[in-house]
Amino acid sequence: MAPTKTVKNKHAANGSGIRGSKTSKMGPKKDNVIMKSKNNKSNPSHASVTHARGRPNIAELLKVRKKKRVYSAKELGIPELNMITPVGVEKPKGKKKGKVFVDDRESMNTILAIVQAEKEGQIESKLIKARQMEEIREARRVEAAAKEAERDAEFSNTKDSIRKGGKKRRSAFRYEPPMEGDIKDYQVTGINATQPKKKRVSFANE
Amino acid sequence: MRPLVESETKIVFDKLANYLSDLKGLIAPLDDGDRYVFRLNHSRVYYVRLSIANLATSISRDQLLSLGTCLGKLTKSGKFRLHITALPILAEHARYKIWVKENGAQPFLYGSNVVKAHIGRWSEDCPEHSGCVVYSMSDVPLGFGVTSRSTADCRRLDPTGIVCFRQADCGEYLRDEDTLFSGGA
Repeated sequence: MAPTKTVKNKHAANGSGIRGSKTSKMGPKKDNVIMKSKNNKSNPSHASVTHARGRPNIAELLKVRKKKRVYSAKELGIPELNMITPVGVEKPKGKKKGKVFVDDRESMNTILAIVQAEKEGQIESKLIKARQMEEIREARRVEAAAKEAERDAEFSNTKDSIRKGGKKRRSAFRYEPPMEGDIKDYQVTGINATQPKKKRVSFANE
Repeated sequence: MRPLVESETKIVFDKLANYLSDLKGLIAPLDDGDRYVFRLNHSRVYYVRLSIANLATSISRDQLLSLGTCLGKLTKSGKFRLHITALPILAEHARYKIWVKENGAQPFLYGSNVVKAHIGRWSEDCPEHSGCVVYSMSDVPLGFGVTSRSTADCRRLDPTGIVCFRQADCGEYLRDEDTLFSGGA
């Protein structure tokens, strides 16, 4: 037995039932059955004919031709461009995603040893540098002290020599009045040398 | 809260090595089988027992204010800044030390640098620009700083000359009370 359909509103199936309504104007529908178009019927017969002859369909041939092989850049031998790849784009395969934490003692000890060795080296070099600078300063100080001592010794020697030969020197510097005959010479060459008289021209009195 | 990555660990150790002579003591295993680890939360680095750090995983990052000893802060420019809270750890294994007299303790705790007139004792053979811990004459650690000159140079310095540039002092517990454990400091 075929199942029977229960129709709640039989007018609704063929429009609203109101005369002037849109659905009533559209014309009656036979059923809710979709009919096959006539063209569909004709095509398979065509195809069947061609298949029967053993020739490939043109449309199929066109489809086959459209499928082009896609070549990669490597196959074509195109030189690689010098492109910049952002940091986050390249993802190494087989590596852990995200941060790599250092929590085990061994890796921590390794980092610690590296850091400590670096720091020790820095401090050592600083100390060596400071010691060298200190040595240079000390050498300069000693040199300056030696020079000072030498100068002092020279100065005291000079003082002593002045003290010992004081009388002689004093007499050498003392002023002694010249003899009568030498007065003229003395006037020319001595301390109180007078300047030579200038030539004068005078007019006779009227 | 998370462990440090390699680069962060290196930066932290690098800073600590300025002040400490022996870094290995920091991560040496304890008698009870436990050990100390470094943890990062809100860009602050904490030095904490592993057992406590494991317990702290049950607290969400936002709710966790502090754990263990706060060593300092990793800045956004990739440097590490030691906080005064790290003083007990630094004082224990300090490489270079400076003892300040009674008259120098108060100026230092108020944020001044250490001048030569205030120095009671100092470590010999201390190069310039190296980290040192500042103590009072009764061996109480007051803070830490960086030496301005080597010990030999400091001898020739006049009494008002700066020997140590202050980095942190105990006065910060009062001065920076609001920002020391959370916030911008």
